[in-house]
Amino acid sequence: MADFGRRLPVYLLLDCSGSMSGEPIEAVKQGVKALLSDLRGDPQALETAYLSVITFDSTARQVIPLTELMQFKEPELNAGGATALGGALKLLSECIKKEVRKSTESQKGDWRPLVFLLTDGEPTDNWQEPARELKESKPANIIACAAGANADTRVLKQITESVVVMNTVSAGDLAQFFAWVSGSIKMSSKSLDAKPGGAIELPPPPQGFVIVP
Amino acid sequence: MAANAQATLTDGRKIPYVIKDNPPRGGMKYTYFAPDKSYVVQFFNNPNVGLDANTRARLEAITGRYNPTLPEDQGGARGNDQKLADYFSQSFCWPSAIVESPELGIVCPAYPSNFFFNPKSSSQLNLEGKDKKSNWFTSRNRRYLDKSELGNFQMMMKMSILLARSIRRMHQAGLAHSDLSSNNVLIDPKSGRCVVIDIDSLVVPGLFPPEVVGTRGYIAPEVLKTMELSYNNSDKKLPSTYTDLHALPVLIYEYLFFRHPLLGPKIYSAQSAEQDDFLALGEKATFIENPRDQSNRPKGLSPTIKDLGPILERLFIRAFVDGLHCPDLRPTAMEWERGLVQTWDLLYACPNPYCEQKWFVLYDEKKPVCPFCKTTVRNSEILRFKLKSESRGCPGQWLNVNELVVHHNTPLFKWHIFSNVFADEKADRTMQAYVCKHNGQWLLVNQNVNGMLSPSGNSVPAGQAILLKDGVVFRASREDRGMLVQVSLAKV
Repeated sequence: MADFGRRLPVYLLLDCSGSMSGEPIEAVKQGVKALLSDLRGDPQALETAYLSVITFDSTARQVIPLTELMQFKEPELNAGGATALGGALKLLSECIKKEVRKSTESQKGDWRPLVFLLTDGEPTDNWQEPARELKESKPANIIACAAGANADTRVLKQITESVVVMNTVSAGDLAQFFAWVSGSIKMSSKSLDAKPGGAIELPPPPQGFVIVP
Repeated sequence: MAANAQATLTDGRKIPYVIKDNPPRGGMKYTYFAPDKSYVVQFFNNPNVGLDANTRARLEAITGRYNPTLPEDQGGARGNDQKLADYFSQSFCWPSAIVESPELGIVCPAYPSNFFFNPKSSSQLNLEGKDKKSNWFTSRNRRYLDKSELGNFQMMMKMSILLARSIRRMHQAGLAHSDLSSNNVLIDPKSGRCVVIDIDSLVVPGLFPPEVVGTRGYIAPEVLKTMELSYNNSDKKLPSTYTDLHALPVLIYEYLFFRHPLLGPKIYSAQSAEQDDFLALGEKATFIENPRDQSNRPKGLSPTIKDLGPILERLFIRAFVDGLHCPDLRPTAMEWERGLVQTWDLLYACPNPYCEQKWFVLYDEKKPVCPFCKTTVRNSEILRFKLKSESRGCPGQWLNVNELVVHHNTPLFKWHIFSNVFADEKADRTMQAYVCKHNGQWLLVNQNVNGMLSPSGNSVPAGQAILLKDGVVFRASREDRGMLVQVSLAKV
């Protein structure tokens, strides 16, 4: 459906700190690749979803600005350094302000963005302030995933209510995570209907993933 | 990882299927394939659905006494014979059996292979093996598909007829699909075929309706508007045949125009996209071609419903203006089927060899312009038949019932000869006569019609022809209900 340019912005916030090096970062690369190929095969997602990637190690960077799926080029991802989660959250807020079209009296705004945050460790910068700001202003539906035993779900809970935990940072679990992200985006791009302001509906997380209450 | 498993059906038969990780999952169910992919086994995402007595009763009704793809003598729908069962097997992916173990589920036939993309379907995307959901073809996504997949206006009309017929068949039995959408009708514009899928959430007469949310863009406005209300609130509008009669013309409109009938430039709310959309498709929905309210009309809209001729234009106005917020004013599926079939007979081949749509509705011979590529028909003869049927009340009085634009090789069928035959699933599809241009003259060649009369009243047996000239009138058949044909030949 042509929606007069109405887009579903999707932000991936990916932890690329030193602890992700080796198998995990390779699995994340594969995951992004699989996500892209899967979404390109879904007509609604292809039409509405726009994807951006923000990575964070010692600093945060938007490596891919909000881009339509057919134009999207996979980013180069390397792991190393600390975990600047706070920087990433701040950057996310800025990107949303800059890139997401607002609904006004004269413009059809974009859908509420979807954000998937993946992290495997504790933040090493000041994260409380940007987290509080995000939780208060709610510019997006944020789903945070704590990967492995070292990720602190209490931190994530202060960013968003929707937190899932995957037990290991294995290639298999990461692949499942990206498949679930894909399923969530596809589902959102179809059921962008009812319940304005209501909770978004996501598919059940993969087996072995736990929703943090 | 794949593992072989076995499903036990209600009659005790055991059938194999293959369990895979991350099976394809829809809003309600997930799917495993047979080893040879000839059928699928589907289970519910929410296992409690399978424990619900209503679900079981509904599935029993759907696979059995309401099943139009099974002959009556094999437990299918009343009055259904093998021929009709075969016909509807092409149009529906109808559940064939209930799975009892390992848990409640259903067995469905696999879709025919033409509803899957092949490696050549797109040079830009890897679509091989993906099913042909209709909005691949009716949205901006069209540009990623190979031209050979796109079909043309004639094929889109054919698909629209088949879809209207399928929905009419359901409604005739009192069934409502309840979630008719671009995801639940697969289309193959190349061959003009479509198949209705996800038939397990039908609303069955006398049984509790399933809790279906519906799909954005296809939910009827009254359902969207009241969807927040609880199920025991009597103001809540649930999916029914009336809501199908909103979704059906939305799909037809999309097939014919590649755009959605309600999504236009109008801003309904500056609060959020979600709120705007909720109003745009619900309470405040406005047809983009509403002749009395242009507030949602995109600039420079073309082609429009006017280009489909008066029959379809009227039906769309009834569906999206009169009936948009008044469900009982919406045209029935049978009216859509008949209107589309009548309009089919007005199709004219666009003279522009590069026209992507190839065909258009020629309803006004004074303005024979293709609405798609804007080519005007010139230096041609437009041959038309007005078909008239004798009034039952006043014998000798003949009433216009149908009009045809005919070309070299246009076939005539029984429904063009007899006023009491309709081109539905039961119709005899053998050619009765055909039009041809021979040595500069237009002829109607009788193939199979008994009692065809020439304009001067002489018998025209099979194998002989009538010379067609402007103004001539003849009986297509003098048998009971045989129609009168009035010929017009216009030079443009």
